[in-house]
Amino acid sequence: MKERMFFDVGVGKSEIKESYDVVIVGGGPAGLTAAIYTRQSGLSALVVEKNLEGGYMNLTELVENYPGFTSIRGEELGSKMVEHALHFGAELVTDNVEKIQVEGKDKFVHLSSGKTVRARVVIVATGSTPRKLGVPGEEQFRARGVSYCATCDGHFFKDGHVIVVGGGNSAFDESLFLAKMVRKITVVHILEKPTADARLREKVFANEKIEYRPLTELVRIEGDEKVEKVVLKDLKENKEYTMDVDGVFIFVGMNPNSELLKDLADLDEWGYIITDENMETKTPGIFAVGDVRSKGLRQIITAAADGAIAASIAARKYFET
Amino acid sequence: MALLDKEVSKQVKNMLGDMERTVKVLFFKSDDESECEYCSTIEQLLAELSELNDKISVEIIDVDEEEQKMEEYGIEMIPALVLLTEDGKDLGVRFYGIPAGHEFSTFLQDILVFSKGAIPQLSEENLKKLQGVEKPVNIKVFVTVTCPYCPRAVFTAHQLAMANDRITASMVEANEFMELSAKFGVSSVPHVVINDEHFFVGAYPEKDFVEEVLKVAKG
Repeated sequence: MKERMFFDVGVGKSEIKESYDVVIVGGGPAGLTAAIYTRQSGLSALVVEKNLEGGYMNLTELVENYPGFTSIRGEELGSKMVEHALHFGAELVTDNVEKIQVEGKDKFVHLSSGKTVRARVVIVATGSTPRKLGVPGEEQFRARGVSYCATCDGHFFKDGHVIVVGGGNSAFDESLFLAKMVRKITVVHILEKPTADARLREKVFANEKIEYRPLTELVRIEGDEKVEKVVLKDLKENKEYTMDVDGVFIFVGMNPNSELLKDLADLDEWGYIITDENMETKTPGIFAVGDVRSKGLRQIITAAADGAIAASIAARKYFET
Repeated sequence: MALLDKEVSKQVKNMLGDMERTVKVLFFKSDDESECEYCSTIEQLLAELSELNDKISVEIIDVDEEEQKMEEYGIEMIPALVLLTEDGKDLGVRFYGIPAGHEFSTFLQDILVFSKGAIPQLSEENLKKLQGVEKPVNIKVFVTVTCPYCPRAVFTAHQLAMANDRITASMVEANEFMELSAKFGVSSVPHVVINDEHFFVGAYPEKDFVEEVLKVAKG
């Protein structure tokens, strides 16, 4: 902790108005960009975020593909976007949206705190959450050695040996973060080649603490009170073996948080929200942006782009007379 | 060197500009560094905060000299921070360990809520349920300062404490209290322990958090 003492001021307010032109659900890059563009169109904007403004960016150790920043901590980019949205007069509240109700042209956004906010346009930017692996022991040892967040839980495995499951950008980025505190990391991936970007691959392969085992499946997690070992399967030899570990970090993709729109929008076969090219769902005035939307590339920059498109089109379509 | 840089100080000042009444912060500390690694840092943080807004009044309690005060407030370990209302009422809101990182935002939010009369920001339905709790309830929320999901859990727990005098809710910074974290098997945060017997992990929505507390309170 000492090496990186920081102070997050937080911005979530609890006093909000009864109605806004545009209500944005989710305070990640897509939602914050939508807020910036909404304000620049001269409309009022409320961003409802249930955890922390900045969203999943907060869990990304380093962002190295957002133009203008060669290398920036995810958290820092997140707080810069928050500042930007606030600068232009967007309002932010910490709350959870339970339901969106449509009555004619009006949308009513029901919050967990019991409040209801009326809006003409709702932009849903709820992102996605880490997917479970679905192996025996995963649920049992959840919070007893199984984790989905290296930034949150890495500290508990100081000098230990952890296994990371996955071969994508998240798995590799989080492995590099974990390597700063744990003794040893074994990364297992069911495919031969990692799907992580070349730059991350180079860094991981160059790291002495990290061993990459391709064509390896995590079969189950075992232990008594907490995680003690994992059973792995060598898919090439079709052989199972055990490995002693202190922790299991799982990064095997994401599930969309699209529950909120299940009746108001069409979802694709994986549950992502289907929109037209203007980010609008089948319900007029309800837009979906960012990682929760059905699309080809989920990155901070594409999330931001979605937000910009939705907010600009919404302003033109619903507020210009 | 200042802990809060210029930019952060400006944001804090701006945010605390909304404060209405004075909020008292009791800080239980020891000068013995082997006893309390972060005490001097917390003391500095509080000094910088009270510089930014004179409605924050800090009282420092050296536990080596005033042990009885620990008992009075039911403080078992240090560093500990207790928030009191303007008239000195203890609502059971505590921070064990430094409220830095993302927890700094929780600390500021709590100060703001206290300065506006410590009215819990909970739905009426949940307030009613909580007011029916008759058994003492102690909530510990284990966090790390780098965990972005944790402030929500701590803030909710503190709202619960404000809702009923029998409920006490503490943030516990897991790295500073390693032994206690190990005792409760904390390996993923936020890890919430209720009355040392029941636990759940994750930032539960308010409604579900209240249900977990009721399970223990009614059991």
